[in-house]
Amino acid sequence: MRRYAAQPDRLPLAVRQALEQRGPQAVEAYALIDLDRDLRLAEGWLALTPVDLVYFPPGGPARTLERARVENVEVESGLSCNTLRVQVPGDEPFALHFTQRQRLAVENVAERLKQRAADAGQASTVKPSAQNDNADADYASYVAQPIRDAQALIASRSGSVLLRLLTYLRPYGRQVAVGLSAAAVITVLALVPPLLTGFLIDRVIRPAQASGVRLEHVPLVAWLVVAALAAVYALRRAAAFLRLRSMALIGENVARDLRSELYDHLQRLSMAFFSRKKTGSLITRVSSDTDRLWEFLALGVVDVSLAVVMLVGLSVVLISLDPALGLMMTVPLPIVCWGIYLHSHRMEQLFLRAFRKWSRVTDVLGDTIPGMKVVRAFDQHTRESARFDACNRAATEEFNRIHHVWTSFWPALTFCVEVAIVAVWGLALPRLFEHGSGLTAPLSLGTFVSFLLYTTMFMAPIEILGQVARVMNRATTSAHRVFQVLDTAPDVADAPDAARIAVHGRVTFERVSFSYDSVRPALSNMSFDVSPGEMIGLVGPSGGGKTTIVNLLARFYDVNSGRVLIDGVDVRKLSSGHLRRQIGMVLQDPFLFHGSVLENVRYGAPDARHADVVRAAKVANAHDFICRLPHGYDTVVGERGHTLSGGERQRLSIARAVLADPRILILDEATSAVDTETERKIQEAMDRLVKGRTVFAIAHRLSTLHRASRLFVIEKGRLLEAGTHEELVADSASTYRRLYELQIQLHTSTR
Amino acid sequence: MTTSIDQGGTNAERNLDTQDSGVRRRRARLVLGTGGALHWQDGRARTRVRAVRCFPWSDPQHFVALYDDEGREVALIEDPASLDPASRRCLFRALGVAGFVFEVESILAIEDEVELRAWRVVTRQGERSFQTALDAWPRPLPGGGYLVEDVAGDAFVFPETRQLHPKSAELLAPLVD
Repeated sequence: MRRYAAQPDRLPLAVRQALEQRGPQAVEAYALIDLDRDLRLAEGWLALTPVDLVYFPPGGPARTLERARVENVEVESGLSCNTLRVQVPGDEPFALHFTQRQRLAVENVAERLKQRAADAGQASTVKPSAQNDNADADYASYVAQPIRDAQALIASRSGSVLLRLLTYLRPYGRQVAVGLSAAAVITVLALVPPLLTGFLIDRVIRPAQASGVRLEHVPLVAWLVVAALAAVYALRRAAAFLRLRSMALIGENVARDLRSELYDHLQRLSMAFFSRKKTGSLITRVSSDTDRLWEFLALGVVDVSLAVVMLVGLSVVLISLDPALGLMMTVPLPIVCWGIYLHSHRMEQLFLRAFRKWSRVTDVLGDTIPGMKVVRAFDQHTRESARFDACNRAATEEFNRIHHVWTSFWPALTFCVEVAIVAVWGLALPRLFEHGSGLTAPLSLGTFVSFLLYTTMFMAPIEILGQVARVMNRATTSAHRVFQVLDTAPDVADAPDAARIAVHGRVTFERVSFSYDSVRPALSNMSFDVSPGEMIGLVGPSGGGKTTIVNLLARFYDVNSGRVLIDGVDVRKLSSGHLRRQIGMVLQDPFLFHGSVLENVRYGAPDARHADVVRAAKVANAHDFICRLPHGYDTVVGERGHTLSGGERQRLSIARAVLADPRILILDEATSAVDTETERKIQEAMDRLVKGRTVFAIAHRLSTLHRASRLFVIEKGRLLEAGTHEELVADSASTYRRLYELQIQLHTSTR
Repeated sequence: MTTSIDQGGTNAERNLDTQDSGVRRRRARLVLGTGGALHWQDGRARTRVRAVRCFPWSDPQHFVALYDDEGREVALIEDPASLDPASRRCLFRALGVAGFVFEVESILAIEDEVELRAWRVVTRQGERSFQTALDAWPRPLPGGGYLVEDVAGDAFVFPETRQLHPKSAELLAPLVD
């Protein structure tokens, strides 16, 4: 809270003390009022006790409204300023301004006030736990919620995330040990050839040249050194092979483990999670993020640690070979590293710009390719081409800037290293020709050659270290995103002793209240009882709570208060998987998976026989069109079934529901997006489908509910009316009659 | 612009009554009630309304829609200048609150974190920290400057980079054209 919102994480002590002085009342809810009357940022507090609503303006005396006298509560929304107005007869109303950040917390206070006014004594729609002692937690939760929804693990640090990631290596301990040992061997062996070369020059070649020894008399030691060189190179390659093979496989295995764990966890998460997170973001986490982690684990960890070891080792060897020359090469090293760091930072900024402009290119593609028909219909292809050209050019310009910067930096850095090498030459030359004059310390040719060979090894680890920040950043970000999903506990979890019952189809809602955001009620104190085999039509305006009823019935969410009972058992005591297998759904936009028609129809009953599949398809009026497809039931329907028409997809989804043979069936606007003839076929199919099952059918077209045993009119989260079509139409004041007449008028006027 | 007020019926009424084009022009008044609430006074009928700019960035001076508590449009004011001065004052006062956004004067820091970009800015209204999604880029405004919406939905208007202090401009530069 303090870090991100920079506001107090709880009601300040002074305000608490002021409230305590008024009497022993628990604070039920509170919110920060962060704008003053002149719309400047300020810190005022609004606290709700069981008796009063108290406002503590910044630096002024508290104002109190007696809760029982509150007449009207409203929140007016603006762009970044909302206004809470609370009216009490005969008193100046509260008119408090607050930003969007405080909106949920203030609405929580407002909803509690409204609730009291609307149905005093009835159960609240807010969570029971949100009352009294949890006011602090509620306030913090409401303020942090948008940040929490947008980000992964807010509080976790990069170090701890990377350490956690490394724990995934534990099952592969032996291979990790092999990979790391091989990497250490590579590093150590890399230092050997220059040393041997120097030894060969100083101890063998130069003395031999000085004494005029012929090739055939080259001493055995020279051949031994050459053999040692060959052995070192062979060992290095073998170690490199071991290292690459083991770390690449480990990285791949860890990525596989993470992907499986992630996907398995996603399957268990509640629908609330999927409504908060974008599909694309979740797909990226399972695919790209785990790939990046592979890259980090397989290459990054080893490369970075070896680069550090290599640089330290080189520095030690150079200084020990010749302190003066060694210091000349190693002293500028920190400056070089600093330069690389600055360059990386600059590149990050440039990449950010380039990424932003590149995203515009992909946005244009994402807009126009799926919307090509609209582009053509409005003859806008010239404008769209120009738009794409502009974005493409802008992105290319940014990438060119990046190329200008890096193609300047790295040659310049290499040149600096080469200047250092030339300086080393300059310092070394007089010493190479020194023959005991005593002016300078002599330097052997072999030592100098070794030295030069070592200096050529400097650039590689420096370049790797230059990438450290980027590699670590990418890995940390990906790990955060993956762990966020893994750390999300399912909102709807089965009890350890969850029961598995054979559902008969009785559905009871007992004073059910539910809110998606714990503030605004979606259902309020809803009660009804549906007998097995009844067909219930849910009607009412959009956003009234119809879909919420079926969501709770299928236990996609758990109620905030009250109970949902199936055959008299609370759904929270049932195995959710077993329950859902007995609930069928036919939705407005039927989802078909990429696969054959057969696989799609059999989705809920993978072992169903072909005869049963055909029977289900016939019931769904789908068999005939399936047989007209080129490969019949084996025809592959494209992604989301795009090769089929809306009506055909709908009939396949009905066939799927028929085959699954559910006891409870949910039809959510199943015929709203099809033509009249198709609707007739679907309606026929559904009439067959609903027989003998408890059905909840949501429909805006009331004519589609002609078979319903009863109709429930749902509005603003409440069950307004219930009865048969005839009963409801007979009541001249009923909402249903008004809706029915509106539809008849609309139908007449459009004919 | 000559049209003063387009006052139609409810959406449902408009749908049903094809005889009524929905365009009837007449004079009405806007007044502020208790607690600064805006009211539409049409003869004796008084309705509490909410003022919404239809084009808050591309044409903020025109087209203000008034909605009642049920979310029905009570009137569409094409040009507030055509209102009587008292109504205009009330309207602009209500719009001042409803259209309030943070006006950024300088940027103290912008840091990229996991899936979030954290901003610390000084606004005309005081210092503020906020967060945006990493791919929520500042949106260029038709009148110049940029609009940034944070994860909570609060809006921040930034001036052009050349109008910012060099340090602030340097921080904003990678995010804008």
